[in-house]
Amino acid sequence: MTVSTDPHIEEVKKDITFRVFRFNPQIDSKPYFDDYTIKVERGITVLRSLNYIKEHLDSTVSFRAFCQAGICGSCAMRVNGQSKLACTTQVWEVLEKCREPNVIKVEPLRNLPLVKDLIVDMDPLVDKMKNYSNWVESTMSEEEMGKKEFLIPEEEFLRYDKATDCILCASCVSECSILRANSEYVSPAVLLKSYRMNADSRDSIHDLRLAELVKDHGVWDCTHCYRCQETCVKSIPIMDAIHGIREDAIECRGMKDTSGSKHAEAFMSDIEKKGKLVEATLPIRTNGMVWTLRNLLPMAMKMIVKRRTPPPPPLVKPSKGIKVFRSMFREMTKHVREDQKSHKK
Amino acid sequence: MKPFDIVIVGGGGAGLYAAMEAMKTNPSLTIAVLSKVYPNRSHTSAAQGGANAALGNKAKDDTVEMHIFDTIKGSDYLADQDAVEVLCGEAPRIIRELDNMGTPWSRMDDNTIAQRPFGGAGRPRCCYCADKTGHTILQTLYEQCLKKGVMFFNEYFALSLSVNGSRMRGLLAMNIKTGRVEAFPAKTVIFATGGYAKMYWNRSSNAAGNTGDGQAIAFRAGIPLKDMEFVQFHPTGLRKSGLLVTEGARGEGGYLVNADGERFMARYAKEKMELGPRDLVARSIETEILEGRGFDSPAGKYIHLDLTHLGADLIRSRLPQIREMSMQFEGVDPIHEPIPVRPTAHYSMGGIDTDNFGRTVMGGVYAAGECGCVSVHGANRLGGNSLLDILVFGRIAGNTAAQEAGKFAPGIIPESEIREKTEELRSYMKPSGHYERYGALREELGQTLAMNVGIFREASLLKKGIEDVSELKERYRHVRVFDTSDVYNTNLIQVLELKNMLDLAESVAAGAYAREESRGSHTRVDFPVRNDDKWHRHTMATLENGKVVLGEKPVTMGRYELQERTY
Repeated sequence: MTVSTDPHIEEVKKDITFRVFRFNPQIDSKPYFDDYTIKVERGITVLRSLNYIKEHLDSTVSFRAFCQAGICGSCAMRVNGQSKLACTTQVWEVLEKCREPNVIKVEPLRNLPLVKDLIVDMDPLVDKMKNYSNWVESTMSEEEMGKKEFLIPEEEFLRYDKATDCILCASCVSECSILRANSEYVSPAVLLKSYRMNADSRDSIHDLRLAELVKDHGVWDCTHCYRCQETCVKSIPIMDAIHGIREDAIECRGMKDTSGSKHAEAFMSDIEKKGKLVEATLPIRTNGMVWTLRNLLPMAMKMIVKRRTPPPPPLVKPSKGIKVFRSMFREMTKHVREDQKSHKK
Repeated sequence: MKPFDIVIVGGGGAGLYAAMEAMKTNPSLTIAVLSKVYPNRSHTSAAQGGANAALGNKAKDDTVEMHIFDTIKGSDYLADQDAVEVLCGEAPRIIRELDNMGTPWSRMDDNTIAQRPFGGAGRPRCCYCADKTGHTILQTLYEQCLKKGVMFFNEYFALSLSVNGSRMRGLLAMNIKTGRVEAFPAKTVIFATGGYAKMYWNRSSNAAGNTGDGQAIAFRAGIPLKDMEFVQFHPTGLRKSGLLVTEGARGEGGYLVNADGERFMARYAKEKMELGPRDLVARSIETEILEGRGFDSPAGKYIHLDLTHLGADLIRSRLPQIREMSMQFEGVDPIHEPIPVRPTAHYSMGGIDTDNFGRTVMGGVYAAGECGCVSVHGANRLGGNSLLDILVFGRIAGNTAAQEAGKFAPGIIPESEIREKTEELRSYMKPSGHYERYGALREELGQTLAMNVGIFREASLLKKGIEDVSELKERYRHVRVFDTSDVYNTNLIQVLELKNMLDLAESVAAGAYAREESRGSHTRVDFPVRNDDKWHRHTMATLENGKVVLGEKPVTMGRYELQERTY
């Protein structure tokens, strides 16, 4: 045992400016920023700084905060452009990412309706949790409950252990690139919860939930930008969950008649055959001839005019080294299949 | 608004379980759950360790009987023994029920619910999900409530009970998003607003909102509070923030070490060592620090919680949240370095006086969870019994209210009452010459309580505490709210929360001054011994004409006789 001297004993203080997003719907026609400069020492969080500003400089600055320990999820906001929990974010850590030295920009989460200053409306997220049945519908009747435990192997618990870390702070919602374009999109957090429910052997509505997830605005709309996973304040592999739902839809339940799964299969076969995409026929293979003609014909005409059409299939030659690639690809597919089998057991 | 059959104030474990149980008991009732935060934000989520139940999964010889005895002994014999029997008797059923609804409990090798040792318990009976037990329980309950279509009024701040004579007519609350005072006429109201330990402010592990709103509303409506002087200090709060390091860390084998490198618990609890009950361990740490065997730093004195010998694997798998928090808030990785800790105000044993069914003295008003006081924790709560308390008594209160709602006529709340309340809130915003900042008052309240009504108490200190609180109350009259907007006025809410804390602080300090003995969490340096002849009774605090009046109530005994409490 060594009696270590405190590494944080150095009390260096810096003048830090917090550039805070302000908007009061009763007064302001559009949002603006207010600057507050305070002295901050190492070890102080963004939330503590905001609390200080509220108590000493301007009581009208509005934000949510509750547990202050990174477990309730109330204080998610964008700090220097990234969605995080203010209570677990050290001021000194985000200093490197300041555009102007020692100026920290604090804004509300994106992709949720703004209420006031740093506060957004969480109701749309709750509504989606309801739409996608984000709960366990137990295989046991209510009358039977409490009499005996389910026996659950550690392997099953581990499958959703990480997913149950989610505190619904909505940082992933804020960063999601699909939600920016389509507010009806299911949302990463709701996909994660759906995955967790579907992996639970106590649940009885797996198929119903999955059927909802493969509809429009559902699991197939994700474009794999991985922003949700990068942002997650609890480091949950959200993309694994999204992939998990997709694999489940294709492999286990034979939901191969959805456009999403057809798209994925067309993708796979192109890559296997040519090492690249045959874009010209991809929409037809995904959504069928009728849909493509009805929906994409005008765009195709424009592309022809602008000379931006993809090459016709015969002109798409296999990539260099395709033979080696194919053997690697098959090997990989084999491994994935084996993995899935052992997973199901 | 149409009268409700049941209005539940609070959306944590107790409130949500009450809602579910009430719906199950009588599906035709209209039930509203009001919460000042989205329910999934409630402080239940912060409970890390677990919930006790004599399932016998880990120790085959564990029994409900042993759980009852441990709880009564832990309470320093102030718990009502019939209530404890309910708590422990219901425990296995409620833990299984949560399992049946989808709570992801950690598992044993035989696939049953995992259990671990906890302070003051004779057998390892604390059921857990890693160190996020409360979080996963809260998520499960919230999910199930969404499934059942519970009517939520999220972000509503409860203001007062509407009472005509002795008849409760409903509740007034402010819609935080619009600033409007709204009436919730109701046949029954259940308070489940959590604890009041945040009055210790920076020396508290609680969420910013644990300001005892329900207790304060009930208190002002004339409902008595019980055993308010009993505030539990958790032995291991992080040095800088007061945030909590779960007892699970010691349950898994962590050591408490002083600056001399000594496992000092050997001096205080030879047998149980680090796993002694909370009050004892907290006092031991405080004694070490007071006698100069602690570490020193600008952020205050502390001692070490050493987990390094447990190994990286165990820390990563069983205590991941603790590791994350230590790194975020102290810059210490417990795999390599000990965590700096000191005791922090953590739990309020006291609360609204209820019977074993959650009823208060006022017809149609119920309370459950940390907000209420049945009492099952007496003078000191055992770790793992609080999650259990909110589940068991949340459910019981929901059931009772559902069965009794028909007895009460639907109340009507007059418009004038809403107008008066609105005026009262507006008056905080009127400019005046001299004004006080709520932030400073809040800070000072926490300081004086920690100094004078803290772990070690004494008549002259307590007197000082009482004086300070009444002075702060006087200064509070000049507090000004600068944010004048209707939409999401957090400035106003924090000021109202401060009022709740001040009103309750008076009852805590007064109770502590009156109780001239040491029992459980209440340690009087000037009266170091438990005095059963004079003080084996509950303290009752009632507000009469703005003054705290103390009374008493006998403790319900049962199978267990009074004994000296040693570990």
